[in-house]
Amino acid sequence: MNAVEVRDLTWRYEHTTRPALEGVNLDIVEREFVLVVGPNEAGKTTLVAAIKGIIPHSMSGILKGEVRVFGERVEDMKAPPLARQIGMVFADPESQFTALTVEEEIVFGLENIGWPPAGIERQVRWAAEVTDVADLLDKPPYDISGGQKQRVAIASVIAMEPRILILDEPTSMIDPLGKDQVRDICAELKREREMTIIVVEHNIEAFAPLADKVVVVNDGHVERVGPPAELFAEIEYLAARDLAPPQVTTLFERLRRPGRYVGELPLTDEAGIAAGRRLLEAAR
Amino acid sequence: MSLIEVAGLTYTYADGTQALRGVDLEVGEGEFVAFIGQNGSGKTTLSKCLAGLLRPTAGRVVVDGVDTSGKGVTKELARRIGYVFQNPDHQLFNSRVADEIAYGPRNLGLPDEERERVVQEAAGVAGVRAELFDEHPFFLTKGLRQRVAIASTLAMRPKAIIVDEPTTGQDHRQSVEIMEFLVHLWRIEGHTIVIVTHEMPIVAAYAQRVVALCQGRILLDGPTREVFAQSDALRQTFVKPPQATRLAQAWRDLGVAPDVLSVEELHDSVAGVLASRVARAAAEAAASERSPEGHGMSRGTA
Repeated sequence: MNAVEVRDLTWRYEHTTRPALEGVNLDIVEREFVLVVGPNEAGKTTLVAAIKGIIPHSMSGILKGEVRVFGERVEDMKAPPLARQIGMVFADPESQFTALTVEEEIVFGLENIGWPPAGIERQVRWAAEVTDVADLLDKPPYDISGGQKQRVAIASVIAMEPRILILDEPTSMIDPLGKDQVRDICAELKREREMTIIVVEHNIEAFAPLADKVVVVNDGHVERVGPPAELFAEIEYLAARDLAPPQVTTLFERLRRPGRYVGELPLTDEAGIAAGRRLLEAAR
Repeated sequence: MSLIEVAGLTYTYADGTQALRGVDLEVGEGEFVAFIGQNGSGKTTLSKCLAGLLRPTAGRVVVDGVDTSGKGVTKELARRIGYVFQNPDHQLFNSRVADEIAYGPRNLGLPDEERERVVQEAAGVAGVRAELFDEHPFFLTKGLRQRVAIASTLAMRPKAIIVDEPTTGQDHRQSVEIMEFLVHLWRIEGHTIVIVTHEMPIVAAYAQRVVALCQGRILLDGPTREVFAQSDALRQTFVKPPQATRLAQAWRDLGVAPDVLSVEELHDSVAGVLASRVARAAAEAAASERSPEGHGMSRGTA
C-alpha cells in the first residue's frame, strides 16, 4: 500500500513569484525508508511540509494538485488525525520543546492526541529506550547537549507511533557522535519495520545505506527516484547538482567504468572493504 | 617567531567545567590549521582563547607579541586576530551591512576617509557587493550573512582569522564556496587561517595541519595526512577520518597507500596496485615463455 501519494503538486508561497514545488509526483510505499537529497532551497523541506500537512494548513500560498496519506487527502484532514498519522522532527530540536522535563516533553504529544492514559507510561518507556534518553527523563530539555536534545525530540515524536516519521535534516546541527546516534536510531526504527520513514539529509554517506529509495529534489522538481546503488552511480548527474555520493560508491563506480570492478556499487564501509579485498586479492 | 604562542593554557568555566587542561601550541604565520575533536573536547574554548574572547585561567596566550591577558589589549588584539562565529547572527547587530563592516574600524577611531577605504576593501575581498551596503543583514541568505561577518572581521585587517564551523548547515556547493573563499584569504591575501570543524572531508581537502583535542588536551598535532593516518589515536576523539582514508587503511596489507585524503587519491592507489599486478603477471608470463624450463604459461614455442 502507498503511504504517501503526491500528485501534480505545485506550491507557491505567498509573496513569492516562483513556485517552490512544481508538478511533483511521488509514491512512497508503506514501511519504506526514503532519503530525500538536494541542494539547499531546492524544495526538500517544502515537499515534506506538504506531506505533513503544514502546507497548506499552516502556510499561506497557492496549491495545485494533491497529497494523499494512506489514501486520504491531506488538505481535507484535521490536525489530530494528521498528528496521529505523521510525526515530524526538525533540524533545530529546541524549536519543538515546550515542557520543563524530558519526560513531560515526551508525554505532551501523547496527551495532546488523546492517547489512553493507561498506555502512556509504556509509550514513554519504549521511546526513551529506542533513543537512549531513559536516564535524562528528569532533566530540563534545554539543559542537555545538542545531540541529546535531538534524541529527545525524536523520542517525543515516535512515542505517538506515527505511521509516517519525517526527519528534516536531523543531524545538521549536532556533533559527529550525536550524528551517529541519530543515524543508529533511524536504523533501529527501520529494523522494527513499523514506520514509513522519510529523512531529508545532506549527510548522504551516513543515510544512503539505510535507504530503500532516494529522492533527488532540485529546483522545485523531483528529478530522480531510485534505489541508492543505482542512483549514486550517476556521478556526473549528481556532481552537476552538487550532490556527493558516499566516497566508497564513487570509488567503485570509477573502478567499474574501465571494467576493473564488476558488480553492484557498495554503499557502506563494510561492503566496500570486502569488495575491495576480493578485487585486490584476486589480482595478486 | 610564531604568530600564535600558547603555553600551559588552562581554562575553567564559572560552573567549574575544566575545558582546557594544559595546552601548548604554536601557530606560524601563513598556516592553515583545523581544530578537531568531540563536543566538549575544548576546541571552541581554545579558539576563543586565541582570539582573546576568553582570558586564560592559567598559562599564556600571545598573539603577534600581544599577551591576551594584558590590560587594554582589546584593540591591539582585534588588529591581529579575528573570530567569525558559527552562527553569523551571533555577531551581526547593525541594521545596515555597511555599518556592520565599518563598526570595528570606527571603534579604532580611523578617520572617515580611511575607514571608507578599509570597508570597501574588506567587502570586496569577502564578496559583499556594494549594492548590499544598505540592506539589513537579517534579510540576507546565511551564506551572505557569513560573508558580512567575515568582511567585518577583515576590516580590522587581522593577520589571523579563526572561523568556527564554517560549513555547518550548508549544502555541498555552499560548503565548497566558503572553503574556497578561505583558501583565497589564506593563499592570496596572506592570512593565517584556523578553522574549528566536525567535517572531516573538509579538513582533509583544505587544512595543512590538524590539531586534534580530547578532554581539554592536544592529542594529535601534525600535517593532515599524518594525523588521519593515526586512526587508533583518532578513535579516542570519536573522530573518523574521511571514508576514503578508512578504506585505504583497511587495504593497507594489500599494498594500498594508507594515508590517502580523497577518493581521487584512493582510486589512483587502488588502480595502481591492480595495474602493477597485471603488469607483473604479464612480465612473469613473458619470462616463463622465454626460459627453456618454461612451463604453465608457455605455449610451446620456446
